[in-house]
Amino acid sequence: MIQVGDRAPDFKLADHLGRQVSLAQFRGTRHVMLLFYPLDFTPT
Amino acid sequence: MDSVHCHANWAAGMGGISFPLLADFHPKGAVAGAYGLYLAEKGITDRATVIIDADGVVRHASSVTPAGSRDIAELAALCEAVNRNHSGTLPAAEAPPGITGATLFVKNGCGFSRTALLARTNLHLEAAVQVKNVSDDPAALAELEQLAGKAQAPALALGGSVQLESVDIVRTLVSKTTGF
Repeated sequence: MIQVGDRAPDFKLADHLGRQVSLAQFRGTRHVMLLFYPLDFTPT
Repeated sequence: MDSVHCHANWAAGMGGISFPLLADFHPKGAVAGAYGLYLAEKGITDRATVIIDADGVVRHASSVTPAGSRDIAELAALCEAVNRNHSGTLPAAEAPPGITGATLFVKNGCGFSRTALLARTNLHLEAAVQVKNVSDDPAALAELEQLAGKAQAPALALGGSVQLESVDIVRTLVSKTTGF
């Protein structure tokens, strides 16, 4: 697992509204929380 | 880990969500892999949380295993800690534009209308987005026909323009509310 203090790998993925979302687009404007989960329709 | 289509279905079932559901699907689990969270032998992603500050530095990383469940209060506390300790990485932060004076036209028995209504509720836009039901209200139907040129609902009237596709309506509500 990635460690605290590491530089987060950038990514660009499609979201459920058809938008392309990258980590880089939030640079300087937002903190980002990534919630990884195994499959849709499972608990938080 | 699921496709865009599965995500869209799930998000609609939950009634619209304000955060992006990302499809790490093709190639499968590539981003999870880059974060060391892809469980290749099971073909799934770990149930894990990573918080990244606005400079792109990881400030929290934890897993509760695929079978575990996250503690929402703990997540909120982690977010508050990052806000407190790393606000200096947010020089360009701006408030989202927000929404005022919008009207959502809906009709009865229409799943797309229901999706748009649920997004309005979930984004706490009850005060900002007025609802008119064209099935029950002839005046609303006439207004919709005048604004959109046809009696198609759902429709979102905002700032002189009209959107007629539920995915466009939800995207507009989300982007005005969240700023992206």
